[in-house]
Amino acid sequence: MKNLKDVNPLILLAMALIPLALVIAAVPENTTKPYKLTIDEVVGQITEGAQYYTADQIADYIVQKDPSIQLIDLRPKDEFETYHLPGAINIPLSDILADEWLEYLDQDVRTNVFYSNGTVISNQAWLICTQRGFKNNYVLQGGLNYWAEAIINPLKPDQTAPNDEFAKYDFRKAMSGALGGGSLEVQSTPSQSAGPMPDVAKKPKKKKAAGGC
Amino acid sequence: MGPLSVNEIISSGTNFFLAFIIGIGFGFVLEASGFSSSRKLAGVFYGYDTVVLKVFFTAAITAMLGLLFFSLFGWVDLSLVYVNPTYWHSAIAGGIIMGAGFITGGFCPGTSVCGAAIGKIDAMVFVGGLFLGIFFFGEGYPLWENFFKDGFSGFPRLNEVMGISQGVLVLLVVLMALAMFWVGEWAEKKFPREEY
Repeated sequence: MKNLKDVNPLILLAMALIPLALVIAAVPENTTKPYKLTIDEVVGQITEGAQYYTADQIADYIVQKDPSIQLIDLRPKDEFETYHLPGAINIPLSDILADEWLEYLDQDVRTNVFYSNGTVISNQAWLICTQRGFKNNYVLQGGLNYWAEAIINPLKPDQTAPNDEFAKYDFRKAMSGALGGGSLEVQSTPSQSAGPMPDVAKKPKKKKAAGGC
Repeated sequence: MGPLSVNEIISSGTNFFLAFIIGIGFGFVLEASGFSSSRKLAGVFYGYDTVVLKVFFTAAITAMLGLLFFSLFGWVDLSLVYVNPTYWHSAIAGGIIMGAGFITGGFCPGTSVCGAAIGKIDAMVFVGGLFLGIFFFGEGYPLWENFFKDGFSGFPRLNEVMGISQGVLVLLVVLMALAMFWVGEWAEKKFPREEY
């Protein structure tokens, strides 16, 4: 038998690569979406509350005009037209399967945040999208009801409340002013205002792995 | 499930560390294979030495096959792997500039760093030119921004444009590469050089 060393390396390479390429040409592409959640993972996410963005986070995004956030209003059209958050689009829950919204819901560029009056409808939309294998969908915690309570008309904390509460209040008051809510309160006693604004923790956004030569 | 850093299985710090290790290995192999010689790269254009072509194309087809097999086994999510956006005009202009640089300088960006690391003066000059080019491109960006962004056509993949599956495309590329290697070896015999 001929020694392996005597064979032209080009022939060896062809013998190794062509069969592999034939296999890969013959099998269908793997199109399973691995980020679809199993039922255990769904339960885990729901109990952990991983699908939530807090009202403070969203207020911060809106004021900063962060283009990576897409707010999606799930209420009926007339309610949407009466009032909606800045930059939100209207996808009533009954229309969520419509093809025209597919490119908004199934994408990996922007972060969608669902909201409605409470959180039940948003969670339903989130569950539908998650089980369809769509990523980047989240829920505004507390919905518009909590939004109105916390951001638009924040309650002043008690004089004895900890500094954190005052910082949060100042932040919300500022947000409220920026978003056209109640008027900004004039700070008569600046010494009372507590520290800098609390940092709004942002969820890390997934980026694609970049490459190059 | 890969990609490891995108799926947050490893941190971006670990990712950079792995890239660093792989980069050292890559540089070592480039140098050990003689790629730090500018004559090696210029040889591709004159036909007397096509090792560079063979090495890089073998790497490309191995990676193509590997990625598709990984995807088949569910080890990597190909939809999360970055595909460069295509800007036709700047891609063609860049290709011409890069090709001209290859043949006149005898280095590609990777091998020039390799050559500079072992003290080759021509490689150092090449690296200097590379940084000058980057500097002028960056500083003069407003001048050619329109041209740079012209002809944008999204993130097309060759198999989508041709309307075939990824696997069939890989088979075609493998066959093309092997044919090219064969032509390369023929050219090496046809245009031999004694000493380089």
